[in-house]
Amino acid sequence: MKPPPFAYRRASSLEEALRLAAEAGEDAKFIAGGQSLMPLLALRLSRPSHLVDINRLQELGGVHQENGALRVGALVRHATLERSPDLDGPWQALREAAALIGHYPIRLRGTFGGSLAHADPAAELPVVSTALQATFIARSASGEREIPVSEFFAGPLMTVLEPGELVVEARFPAPSPGTRSVFEEFSPRAGDFAFAAAAVVLAADDGGRVRNAHIALGGVAAIPVRAHEAEAALEGEVLTGSAAQEAARLAAAGCDPSGDAHASGAYRKELVATLVGRALSRLREER
Amino acid sequence: MTSGYIGVSVERDDLAFLDGTACYVADVDREGQLYARVVRSPVAHARILDIDVAEALAQPGVVAVITAADIPETRIPIRLPMAETPYTHLFLQPPLAREVVRYVGEPVAVVVASDPYLAEDAAELVDVDFDELDVVSDILSATTQGTPLVHAEAGTNIVATVPLGYGDVEAAFARADVVIRDRLRMHRHTAVPMETRGLLAEMDHGTGVLTLWGAAKVKHFTRSALSSMLGIERHRIRLVENHVGGGFGVRGEPYPEDFLVAFLALRLGRPIKWIEDRAEHFVATNHAREQEHDLEIAATADGRLLAFRDRAWCDQGAYVRSQGILPALLPALHLPGPYRWEAFSVETRGVLTNRTPVGTYRGPGMTEATFVRERMLDKLAAELRLDPAELRRRNLIRPGELPFSFEPAPITYESGDFPAGFEHLLDEVGYDDLCKQRQVRRASGEHVGIGFAAYTEIGAIGPFEEARIVPRSDGRFVVHVGVASLGQGVETVLGQIAAEKLGVPMDAVSIDHHDTEKLADGFGAFASRSTTLAGNAVALAAEDLRAKAAARLDVPAGEIRFVQGQVREPSGRTIPLAEVGEGRGRFDKPHPTFSFGAALSLVSIDRETGLVKVLRHAVLHDVGRAVNPELLRRQLAGAASQGIGAALLEELLYDEYGQPQSTIMADYRMPTVEELPDIEVIVEERPNTANPLGVKGGGESGMVGTPAAIANAVADALGVEGARVWRLPLTPDRVREMLRHH
Repeated sequence: MKPPPFAYRRASSLEEALRLAAEAGEDAKFIAGGQSLMPLLALRLSRPSHLVDINRLQELGGVHQENGALRVGALVRHATLERSPDLDGPWQALREAAALIGHYPIRLRGTFGGSLAHADPAAELPVVSTALQATFIARSASGEREIPVSEFFAGPLMTVLEPGELVVEARFPAPSPGTRSVFEEFSPRAGDFAFAAAAVVLAADDGGRVRNAHIALGGVAAIPVRAHEAEAALEGEVLTGSAAQEAARLAAAGCDPSGDAHASGAYRKELVATLVGRALSRLREER
Repeated sequence: MTSGYIGVSVERDDLAFLDGTACYVADVDREGQLYARVVRSPVAHARILDIDVAEALAQPGVVAVITAADIPETRIPIRLPMAETPYTHLFLQPPLAREVVRYVGEPVAVVVASDPYLAEDAAELVDVDFDELDVVSDILSATTQGTPLVHAEAGTNIVATVPLGYGDVEAAFARADVVIRDRLRMHRHTAVPMETRGLLAEMDHGTGVLTLWGAAKVKHFTRSALSSMLGIERHRIRLVENHVGGGFGVRGEPYPEDFLVAFLALRLGRPIKWIEDRAEHFVATNHAREQEHDLEIAATADGRLLAFRDRAWCDQGAYVRSQGILPALLPALHLPGPYRWEAFSVETRGVLTNRTPVGTYRGPGMTEATFVRERMLDKLAAELRLDPAELRRRNLIRPGELPFSFEPAPITYESGDFPAGFEHLLDEVGYDDLCKQRQVRRASGEHVGIGFAAYTEIGAIGPFEEARIVPRSDGRFVVHVGVASLGQGVETVLGQIAAEKLGVPMDAVSIDHHDTEKLADGFGAFASRSTTLAGNAVALAAEDLRAKAAARLDVPAGEIRFVQGQVREPSGRTIPLAEVGEGRGRFDKPHPTFSFGAALSLVSIDRETGLVKVLRHAVLHDVGRAVNPELLRRQLAGAASQGIGAALLEELLYDEYGQPQSTIMADYRMPTVEELPDIEVIVEERPNTANPLGVKGGGESGMVGTPAAIANAVADALGVEGARVWRLPLTPDRVREMLRHH
């Protein structure tokens, strides 16, 4: 469990980091908190030629709310989100999800951008980002582009990022008034990767009818997925217990998780219904 | 005359474990040392066609690469030979696979380099050409017709069959009002100490002595094993214990690496260091427990146990390691438990599979047997509509029946009071009140359950231990013993016994267990034996020293005192302590001691997710006499925590190709503080009549009944579906599965 050899460079600015990565070629990787990459190196499952350390790039930190929209820098640590009391209302799912990532020492180091780029299908932040319709700003030595979350994940531990390209920020659009969000997951043990996770975002109009429901699921497919049928069923409905139950059922029916040694596909499907049901009942009760 | 240390919770001296000054084997460095990296088989069963080491050998920093062709033909011997067959030796493990690999993780070659990183880089370049063979991937297929053979030359996958019987089973079954039968399965799991294994070997060319640091548990036996395997005399091998970060039965047995590291130190003439990494630990260190039982119990309508029949398949893995066939023998010895059976017949089989070899883990055999028996007793109680506590009450052996023997089976209970112990547990946890609480909580929609287990724990296995007390001119006493410290506090306990028996303050005594140089013989730390065996040996050595001192002054032994480097008698005459010589003691224990224990668990189940939460967990153990009650309580609580992990979380999974699925901590789930309740510990002290100190073993008891009690509590909480609880661990997925099929 000792990494194969690699070259290590520490960048002191974003420009330098991107230049170093470009020079190092396509087997270079950025490293921030190292909470996913270091274990992969130790197990020799990842063999980068170079590591470009971005931990000192202050320009990638910070959580900003402006005109109802939210920007989260790539280097924001999970513990920072967990301890941001102003992440409430529409952003509450972000704070809740951050608090469920691994164990506290992991949350002190792990970063927002790192979790996205690692793209574990059971990880919390990709699921919340999917429900909150984030757009990621990716920079490389040759320029900048915006990637909507719906196009960002390409498979388990895979994204559309090109070599040398770095997520620098996640942008969350301003939600409609009255939007709230919650996050639910189930793991067999505190701090484990979730067997299944659900982020639910919705607004209620003056008549108490659901508008713009977004339900994202983790741990049930190669990438985070939306529960479109459940969302559609909620649209325009009053969020009664039976409406919630029906949406939970549809969310489970709409996914087809595969199983592994720890949790069968059928079990994960049941968990989806349970978790979406629990998220919706919290949204009913906490209004 | 005593100083009153025995029975007192003297604080142990464990600061080094907390402040970072402990010296583990990884902290020991020798001038010029090299680092070994073991190349392990990536496949479960294959013929080795060719091993090409040229590329690895050409890497920077690499000093040597060895394969089976470079070492003598030798195999790791059995430490505790019992009921072996004439062909058991065919299954013993060579340090490096010679023609065939038989499990993922089996050592195939060793790379030695100047740096551990370079060694690991080069190890990847050792090119082994495998011709893959069919795999035996589970215990039941090991004995089916036409199955592949793990050791083709043996012609069978059955290592040993252990038959055990008592009374007339057929007659007892014929009289039964009720017979229940079921298949029950204990899963593969093992100890995961915080510190992985590690070794450092160095040959001193001046003295001709080979020193091995990192020894633990059974260092005298490991020395003998290395002596015969390496072909050098015992007195030229010295094993040194360092601080140890947990043993639990798996650390310190002679493993392939013990031979390889010592061999390389001799071959290369330089110190060789090897530190196991966590991924290696999960495939290289002994696994434990996996077995399946077909059990049949006969009882009367009023809940009297009559007899049982058991047939079991006990996994040995791919080789028989130093613990021999204990994985099949120990469950057989523990199936009767603390109950009065008229008859039983047991036939356990040790079977081979293409998986990591199986050894002993805290509470070996007894944990498996207790799960199987106690689960069946709850099924019987359900069948008879009897309170499970009442069923046990009616059948526990009464104190008037002790000593109780199941002869010809080698099981004898010397002393104790099983029913009183059981009632003590029920009283302490408030069983009647707990039953009422269960009713209230169920009425409010919660799914809670209570479960028990009562059991016997084998301990104090002999054959003997010796102790040597050497007085020094400064008034201190050095006590040399042959047992080992695995972090359990044995130094404190033996120090208390020595100080009390010598009549001196504890700080005048130091316990030396670190070094094979200091005591010719010793059997080590296993089977909850250290306090009974070494404790009584220390007490005898202290008596011997007092007698020798008294003889010099020609007074009765009770009249002398050891004061400031002097021996003093009442009238004031003294002689220097250093003139007395040393005290020697030897305590023989031809038969093991079985002590009584019981566990009770209260759990709740989330029926939607299948998650089991342990709300309360209590363990009771009769230790005979607690030398240090607080240390014992912590041992029991620690063992129970491991038992909770075994019951709910931990499992070493394999796929059908024999590939391990649990090789990192994220996949082998040990309980964290979030999953554990405060363990309630109750210590019973019913002195053992079979040794002078009156002590019994206790180090494993917390584990033994815990999985059984939790399984029974989960079954109780599930209600109707509870009858489906037949295997462990009770993961959320499995609990949901039991509910789904209803």
